Amino acid sequence: MLANVISWLNSLANATLGLLLELVAWIPAWLSITIIGAVTGVLMLMVFKYTSHQSAIRHTRNQIKANLLGLSMFKDDLRVGLGMQGNLLKFAGRLLALSVVPMLVMIVPTCLVLSQLALWYQARPLVEGEKAIVTVQTSADPEAVQQIALAESPAYRVAKGPVRVPGKQMICWEIEALQPGRHQMQFTFGNDHIDKQLAIGSGLMPVSLVRPSLDWTDTLLHPSESPFGDTSPVQSIAIEYPERASWIYGSHTWLITWFLVSMVAAFAAKPLLNVNL
Amino acid sequence: MSDTQPSKPSISRRTLLTGAAAAAGIGALGATSYWLGGVNRVSHSFGKKVIVIGVDGMDPRLCRKLMSAGMMPNMKRMAAAGGFSNLGTSCPPQSPVAWANFINGAGPGSHGIFDFIHRHPHQQCAPFFSAAETIPGEGSIEIGDHQLQLDFWPFNHQPPETVLRRQGVPFWDFLDAQRISSVFYDLPSNYPPSPSEYGFHKCVCGMGTPDMLGSYGTYQFFSEDTPVEGLEEGGGKRSRVKFDGDSARITLVGPENSMLNRPQPVSIDIDVHRDPGSRTVLLEVQGQKIMLNAGEWSHWTKLDFALSTPRPLPTQHASGICRFYLQEAAPNFRLYVTPINVDPSAPAVQLSEPENFISDISNDLGLFYTTGFQEDHKARSNGVFDDDQFRRQATEVLEERLALFEYAVENYDDGLLFFYFSSSDLQSHMFWWDGDEDPNHPTRTSTEAASRYQYVKDLYQRLDGIIGDIYDRYGDKATIYVMSDHGFANFGRQFNVNSWLRDLGYLNPRECTSILTDCDWSRTRAYGMGINGLYLNLKGRERDGIVEPGEEQEKLTRQLIARLKGVRDYNGKQVIRNVYRSSEIYSGNATALAPDLIIGYARGYRASWETCLGELTPDVLLDNTSAWSADHCADALEVPGILCCNKPFTASDPSLVDIAPSILDDFGIATPITMTGRSIFRT
Repeated sequence: MLANVISWLNSLANATLGLLLELVAWIPAWLSITIIGAVTGVLMLMVFKYTSHQSAIRHTRNQIKANLLGLSMFKDDLRVGLGMQGNLLKFAGRLLALSVVPMLVMIVPTCLVLSQLALWYQARPLVEGEKAIVTVQTSADPEAVQQIALAESPAYRVAKGPVRVPGKQMICWEIEALQPGRHQMQFTFGNDHIDKQLAIGSGLMPVSLVRPSLDWTDTLLHPSESPFGDTSPVQSIAIEYPERASWIYGSHTWLITWFLVSMVAAFAAKPLLNVNL
Repeated sequence: MSDTQPSKPSISRRTLLTGAAAAAGIGALGATSYWLGGVNRVSHSFGKKVIVIGVDGMDPRLCRKLMSAGMMPNMKRMAAAGGFSNLGTSCPPQSPVAWANFINGAGPGSHGIFDFIHRHPHQQCAPFFSAAETIPGEGSIEIGDHQLQLDFWPFNHQPPETVLRRQGVPFWDFLDAQRISSVFYDLPSNYPPSPSEYGFHKCVCGMGTPDMLGSYGTYQFFSEDTPVEGLEEGGGKRSRVKFDGDSARITLVGPENSMLNRPQPVSIDIDVHRDPGSRTVLLEVQGQKIMLNAGEWSHWTKLDFALSTPRPLPTQHASGICRFYLQEAAPNFRLYVTPINVDPSAPAVQLSEPENFISDISNDLGLFYTTGFQEDHKARSNGVFDDDQFRRQATEVLEERLALFEYAVENYDDGLLFFYFSSSDLQSHMFWWDGDEDPNHPTRTSTEAASRYQYVKDLYQRLDGIIGDIYDRYGDKATIYVMSDHGFANFGRQFNVNSWLRDLGYLNPRECTSILTDCDWSRTRAYGMGINGLYLNLKGRERDGIVEPGEEQEKLTRQLIARLKGVRDYNGKQVIRNVYRSSEIYSGNATALAPDLIIGYARGYRASWETCLGELTPDVLLDNTSAWSADHCADALEVPGILCCNKPFTASDPSLVDIAPSILDDFGIATPITMTGRSIFRT
């Protein structure tokens, strides 16, 4: 049920966020991640402003300031000092509690944004001549592992395989990328056709690592393709794309960059938008 | 001033400006052309440049032959501009000894490396690698199954340590002190790397660098026809694979976890699946999938070895790399795995100076071999590889080295650049056979031997191309040396010095099979260890020594020299060309571990395989039936190296120890007193 809801949200995100990301894809990746980080930071700040109890936050922050001031003034009085430290703890807790509502409001859209960004920055597409392993995880049906085949295409060629591993319900091929573009790999099982996106090229383009099973975490992490149903002979298809190597927008760094840029942008916009955090 | 006097030519402002502009233009053009350096990229710097290409085992006889035949045109061109000569090698002519001579600009007496293998006299011939030694740790705290070594007060435990045994002062220290940069790639006899005091010296360790198992390279081989109990062979481990259907699990043995009370190797399981239809094999290694067809090599694969620690300390990790080669998928699955190399992108031990130098290179080039011996000669000798497979693996190594060489040249500005090629040595060991010297190869037909020898010639031509490229780039903008540490000779017959000593009653008992296990030291006066070394069982030096120093020692030495020189083969050929007393040929402060005698074999002969680690064979002289059919551990005069330089040199008989003083001379540094060599550019 949850996986179906996420799948529906993914379609919405693909149609909106995905489209917006396409618009900035032509600029250099370091710039696009910076712009996206800055915009999402400001948007999150605005969401925070309108979903949080701003006057209560302001009041709580003032209380914290007052207690900090008191702490420095009465540092020689142990009883007063301990009382103020207790107050600090209490108001810090209240501040956290006041953030719960905006957090709850933002968690879903933030997850959707991040899963969309992962499509662009988590891995890079294959370049022409590059090879990658494609793994199909099948259902428990023994026929599936024996009969699923990978159709030929001018976009790629099967360099090796298949290797069928009935014990793990798994089939692997090694493909070689031939033609730049966004393609659909086609697998066949009897008369059924099963698709999986394939990205080939040297520029920035969305890369779907996995077409997932109907599991909510997998569906959330891999939003680009609809998940396989429980009764499908195929349960997932994964392509081992290469990692994106960059200090700013690489596989291991894009999330850090996005986080830092969005934080900086939010703090920079805070006085302009008059938001209490 | 008279009107008739010719007027001085006046220079108008316009002419002056035009002239200045033209001069500036010409200057800029000159600087630009220097900067660009022709077609290929050369260094931008105007600083002094010296480039040394170390080609291990390149032989002067073959070079001359190929140069005369026009097959090494670049070296011929360079020789015409500067010079070409034999280069006197070390005694004995073994690579660790020879390269240490090059490093110190002085002989073994200065650096203390006399053979691949040394022995501890106080442990009565216990062998160890001469260039580096791992000293076991001392002290620990036991916590459950683990032991913890704490090297601070109040514990002051001594963790195990690998130390460089090479002594003396390496010549780059003199450059470093003068703030002249020097960069060495794959330098032999320098593991662990010696530190740079002023930070102007960089080095990637070469020959002598171990793999993750601490050996000089141990491959692992998995097949269905290996005996069930497996097989440990020199330089390799074989294991049996048993398939359940079309899947099997194999175990890759990694480094030892020394934090365990009983240190055990850490292993990694690999799932193997083969498809009878496509005849393709899928390997699943720590979440990575590798697909191979028969006859195919994988890319480098990273392996994460998790070393358990006492709780609550976090698990330690050591990263290794290996490549897989699928020889056959079915019916007999055969999979070769390279020695597990230290990962250059995250080295578990220091492989370079400075420490991050090798990981910086890896960031640019990816993964590459880091062990000292990269061409897997042991896999060939043990029959895991055939000639073609060995050649292919050696070619892969060469391609990797050429990428590193390109990186080295691209990143070179000025100072000294040294680059080492091992291919010429290890391919020659396997493929060299000079039919003019001896038409009868011990294991191959003459045609086969000639075809393999052609591989060596092809390799020389390829290396000539590399020399030509660097010469074209730099011409006379840099002093370029192409040098080798020694040459090559056929190795058809082998001599077991310990068996010879036994037959003459110097080594007892007669039934002795190895001096490490069943030798009676109370009746043994001399023994062999390593390739060229012969030691007296000297009282006061050796733990169980019986030969009295002085008169008895001298008498025995004379007797052994005379008898060794008199050894003849079945066909009357002299086996040993010369025997050297170390006391006569070595001088310096590092002679404590020197053998008493150095045996210089005649061409065609070498110490037997068993001799090296003190084993005895029934016969003294045997055919060499190993795939390793050529060698250089003969008499030093039989196997000189080469020196080719683009700058004319005056020395008529240059030697390895002269190269360092010559390089220093090029940089205007006088020959230090630590060196015994002299500049080849001075008479």
